[in-house]
Amino acid sequence: MSKLIKIGLPSKGRLKDESLKIFKKKNLSIKDAKRNYLSEIKNFRLNKVIFSHAREIVERLADNSLDIGISGYDLLKESLPGIQKNIQVFSRLNFGFADLIVAVPNAWIDVQTIADLEEISFEFKDKNIGKLRVATKYPNLTNDFLLSKGLTQYKIINSLGSTEIYPFTDQSEIITDITSSGATLKANNLRVLKDGNILKSSACILVSKKSLKDKNKKNLVLSLLKKLN
Amino acid sequence: MKSKKYSEALLNLFKKKGFKVKEFENIIESKIIIERSGEIFKKSLLSFEDDNGKNFSLRPDLTISACLDYIKNVKRGIYKYAYFDQAYRRTFGKESLVRNQLGCEIIGSSNLQLNAEIINLIDLSLKKVIKYKTTIKINDINIFYSLVDSLKLPSRWRLRLKRHFWRHDYFKELIMRLESNSDLQKNVFELDKKSYFKMKKLKKNEDIAGRKINEILNRFEKKIKEPRSNINGVRVAQIIRDFLNINCPFKDAKNELKKFEIKNKINLNLKQFDIFDLKLKNNDAIFSTNIGRSAEYYTGLVFEIYKKSKNLNLASGGRYDNLMQTLGAKSKVAAIGGAINYDNILKL
Repeated sequence: MSKLIKIGLPSKGRLKDESLKIFKKKNLSIKDAKRNYLSEIKNFRLNKVIFSHAREIVERLADNSLDIGISGYDLLKESLPGIQKNIQVFSRLNFGFADLIVAVPNAWIDVQTIADLEEISFEFKDKNIGKLRVATKYPNLTNDFLLSKGLTQYKIINSLGSTEIYPFTDQSEIITDITSSGATLKANNLRVLKDGNILKSSACILVSKKSLKDKNKKNLVLSLLKKLN
Repeated sequence: MKSKKYSEALLNLFKKKGFKVKEFENIIESKIIIERSGEIFKKSLLSFEDDNGKNFSLRPDLTISACLDYIKNVKRGIYKYAYFDQAYRRTFGKESLVRNQLGCEIIGSSNLQLNAEIINLIDLSLKKVIKYKTTIKINDINIFYSLVDSLKLPSRWRLRLKRHFWRHDYFKELIMRLESNSDLQKNVFELDKKSYFKMKKLKKNEDIAGRKINEILNRFEKKIKEPRSNINGVRVAQIIRDFLNINCPFKDAKNELKKFEIKNKINLNLKQFDIFDLKLKNNDAIFSTNIGRSAEYYTGLVFEIYKKSKNLNLASGGRYDNLMQTLGAKSKVAAIGGAINYDNILKL
């Protein structure tokens, strides 16, 4: 069995920049991090750094092809239970803050809470218009949240981006989306429901549970986590 | 072997009463289920997509399969189904994906006598096959709806309590909210009043994300007229809790409900319910207002059958007069059915 540990870091954007800053702050120097997708921490034993999509990092930690990774808490919680049970959250980091929220068009002035939304969803059903459509990149978290709040008569529309315009282009009626300042929602004439906060997210250090049980890797993994702490 | 012995014996008894044993299609289009129950049931479907992106599922429930068979093949008149087969659902614990379901359904009639026919058939068949004494629990969920209508509540709260009656945990939460007035939103209206006056100047039939401006304004006005603060949540919640605790011999049901009406100064409109005329062959019958809350589709009479000595559930069922239409029937088709709790029978 290989003793080499594999570290997954986000491959682009602020998540990548802030992740690299953490390593730098802890005097762990990653070489050639600007262009290469594959690298290593120069001043640490037996390791490989792999730059991947943040969502992919979660999946690779679950199947143990990565040992340690940085990704969003929202992405971890959105993954299937079978994936989550293989991953441990080592620590929440001080960047990548964002909320997953339920938003409705500003003009729906009669809708303040999920309970209002529940009534609207039955109006849709009773009028045979179809189900209230909820566009989201987070179908699992959205389902869990809405069902727990009593909303049952809706249909998920999977979105890959620009979710904010869905209600105004007849692709959905409402959305759930991740927001940090709320500016994009406001610019797109949407507002967050009073009780529509699904999840508070931030970047976090994640560890594959299998790696913590692997006698060839455990010490190396713990030693790196200790440095990152 | 035990399994085969019981299933064959029960199906034979059903056949003798004119039920036809049917096998159903294994795969159904997921859209049919999702359009009916929304995302709540979708989670438990075992689904896949074909090359055209159409989503299909393994049949999750044989009552639904019987209804779909009726819509596709029978179309009109009374049809009596019996079945013993497997249904498939995603599970999130250690439960098996495969569930054995044995049951019978009478689709196409609202005749009151059929209510008694199906309960008596399942009860007597069970007694014959498993050779234990049974107790029947009976309810009509419309009595609960009648209770809700008699309470001093805003109409939207009435609807909410009825819609979620079948979801035990969420219903409990609703009652707690009712009791504590915790979702009082009166002050929130003020924030949107400005927008309200602006929107009043717009074209009433203009559409905003699937809703007409007129609808939005009407609902906003209705909310102002019916503030939650005017209701006595504690009293209403207590009445509902007391109602759901009613358990008495079936023969005393009407009297118990009348006493409840007098005590709480409400009118349940009991004359409209025919449950009290039900002719059951088993004298050991209990009226219980808290049963029949396991499936969203029940619309009236519901029943559960238990092994008397151990209070072990052996069967349950009820009337589902709206399900056929939501599954695609062109008009309302009344139906009643019941399913044997097969796993519990094998435990005997």
